[in-house]
Amino acid sequence: MFNGLFRKFSGRNKDSKELAKKRLKFALIYDKLEVSDDIIKNLHKDIVEVISRYFEIDQEALELDIRRSSEDLSALVVNTPILSAKRKKDSL
Amino acid sequence: MDGKIIVVTSGKGGVGKTTATASLGAALALEGNKVAVVDMDIGLRNLDVVMGLENRIVFNVVDAVKGNCKLKQAAIKDRRVENLYLIPASQSDNKDVLNPEEMVKFGKMLRRHFDIVLIDCPAGIERGFENSVVSADEALVICTPEVSAVRDADRVIGLLYARSITPKLIVNRIIPQMVENGDMLSHTDMVDVLSIELIGLVEMDDHVVISTNTGMPLVLQKNSKAGEAFRRIAMRLNGNTDVPIQVPQSQKSIFKKIRNKLGIGG
Repeated sequence: MFNGLFRKFSGRNKDSKELAKKRLKFALIYDKLEVSDDIIKNLHKDIVEVISRYFEIDQEALELDIRRSSEDLSALVVNTPILSAKRKKDSL
Repeated sequence: MDGKIIVVTSGKGGVGKTTATASLGAALALEGNKVAVVDMDIGLRNLDVVMGLENRIVFNVVDAVKGNCKLKQAAIKDRRVENLYLIPASQSDNKDVLNPEEMVKFGKMLRRHFDIVLIDCPAGIERGFENSVVSADEALVICTPEVSAVRDADRVIGLLYARSITPKLIVNRIIPQMVENGDMLSHTDMVDVLSIELIGLVEMDDHVVISTNTGMPLVLQKNSKAGEAFRRIAMRLNGNTDVPIQVPQSQKSIFKKIRNKLGIGG
């Protein structure tokens, strides 16, 4: 009871551990997004390979980006111009 | 003999790895296992003082790995706890003096001579960590209920998974009153964030400081809550998985429970 009173007067309404947990979860997500250049390079190569099975793309123009925002979860953004779709026969 | 090697690690320093290693080593030996505890914090040795064996060091782990002495010569026998041996770190070398290949070989030798080998891993994730985990069969991650410790634990857990080791979590230095007030991460919060199996909960305990002062094993101290918790973890490590994990509770909540049991509303 005294704790509750203390909290009211000190302006602390929330448990500090809730804040700790929230900050931790974000920190861990951020930490894991810090990927090395090697990983990005390999990912780029693999994505080009996969997309090329279905579409003809300009391999050099493909952009790969990891976007972080503090509110939402993060996103992996792949941006590539498609030159043409491959024929069915080719894609098999 | 075909023993198993368990690495005790945390990422962050100062969360209680060395105390945990010494206590679990003693508790496992008291249960009848032939146990070696190995201090891999080369250059900053401490397991020897925690165990009260600092005056008996002649050879160290670097000597044993390099073949400058026999394993038997480097393993100091604890006089209070039967079947417990300490292989101390070297104080004059640095962590680069050993390499992972040598450690794999050393691990094989340790497995032949002991039932259980506990490796006290240094803080950090560099060479010292590498040398400590390379021959490990299992891993224990020690973590205190603090944001910094949990973040480092997460990193270490990731590195262990990458080596196909599934670690288990020990939450150390729990202050029940603070957890009950919502001012300390609870073990469920930590398990939730880290997604890892829990093996034990250890309360903050003055006996740890006293035990380190005197060099007497914590698990031999009567009335030590931390000592009791480490004994229970040792039992679980020993295969008694039905030993329940006890959640530390404050005096207040214990009285409340008793009152409720007696039917006197609280």
